[in-house]
Amino acid sequence: MFNPKDIIETLANNVQQTASPFGIPKFMVNTWFKHASLPKKGEYLLFTGLMYQFTPYIEKSTQYLEKYEGTRMAGLLKYARHIPSYISGIGLAMITSGKEKKNAGQTLKNICSLLKKSKVDFAYRPDLDNYSGILLYDMGDQKGFVAHAKKVAQKLQKAGIKKIITVDPHTAYALKELFPKYTGINFEVKSYFELLNLKSKDCGLEVTIHDPCFFGRYLKLSDVPRKVLTNLGISASDIRNQGEFTSCCGGPAESISPSLSNEIMEKRAKELEEPGKPIIAYCPICLGNLKKSGANVEDLSTLLVRHI
Amino acid sequence: MSLVNLDFAEELKEYSEDTALECFNCGTCAAICPLVHDNFPRRMIRYVQIGARQKILENSDELWRCLHCGLCTHTCPREADPGEIILGLKRFVVANFRRS
Ligand code: SF4
Ligand code: SF4
Repeated sequence: MFNPKDIIETLANNVQQTASPFGIPKFMVNTWFKHASLPKKGEYLLFTGLMYQFTPYIEKSTQYLEKYEGTRMAGLLKYARHIPSYISGIGLAMITSGKEKKNAGQTLKNICSLLKKSKVDFAYRPDLDNYSGILLYDMGDQKGFVAHAKKVAQKLQKAGIKKIITVDPHTAYALKELFPKYTGINFEVKSYFELLNLKSKDCGLEVTIHDPCFFGRYLKLSDVPRKVLTNLGISASDIRNQGEFTSCCGGPAESISPSLSNEIMEKRAKELEEPGKPIIAYCPICLGNLKKSGANVEDLSTLLVRHI
Repeated sequence: MSLVNLDFAEELKEYSEDTALECFNCGTCAAICPLVHDNFPRRMIRYVQIGARQKILENSDELWRCLHCGLCTHTCPREADPGEIILGLKRFVVANFRRS
């Protein structure tokens, strides 16, 4: 286990300097939209919160943390916060695989295709799409979180944004529950799958869904993706821990203790593998973590886009 | 020897809702918690109830094992909100090390 203080101060420092927990400047992380020709005006604003885009970097940095956990090197982490974030961040960006970065972008393009197919009137504005600060909140850096969240929310408010589409559970929870409480600014927040209107013939496919904690338990939205799948003739197998009682994939412990995170992930992967069906995740953290366990897992949007 | 701090509950109000006294120590949270670790989070909630401020600071690293998954809060029969108490304790510890 790493010293939480070192991890928290490194993350807090990164968010303060670069608005990204990994210290990678936004122009390097958020590039997926460049050839997607998305409208700049619409009823909803698509707000990715950059979580899908961060996943390849999280994977890479966890590989390093895994290597050093429990060794003398772990103690050196405290010096990381003295390195300007953009230098360490660019270093991390350079060692992260291009293929993984492209995959993360493809998920977002798939989500756009699904929204278009469902005739949702949405816009994308990269200047307004920012990290929500949720990791700071989870780590207990309340001051850092509130300061960051206020900046993000005020920017959206100034641009006249009222309705927002999110794509991951962490950003959805931040915007729906935490922003009103801690910034005083309210938006109407929908997760992309709540707006989908897709139909297709029964394809006889069965999948096992892994509900992320924030969608299943905190926001109680786990019925929605199941309905979307039913409309496409895809059924979901029943497992013991699902919906409001879903089990965590272990992802949130990744930066503090990769070994603890792996232990929890292995347990969850076993539960999900029990029905012997392909596994569907709908959170970038869960997806990355379950992939690491070697499970046959893909993102909900990847499955949906194949069936429209 | 551990000292008991009678003002601890008051001090914690700055960091989270004051729900720890609702807890009657049934252990449901510790039984369902995926960490399966040494009576966590129940033990921490007990420390809050008895004002064992120092004990929490001594064992503070444990708080960051918590995944904030919410299972404990969801199943607590007393609505003591154990998950949010843990999050509040993280905030308390962060504020503490930033002050020192
Ligand atoms: S489940 Fe609730 S009442 Fe029972 S020990 Fe945990 S916090 Fe206390
Ligand atoms: S929120 Fe934390 S303490 Fe509660 S069950 Fe989840 S990991 Fe355990």
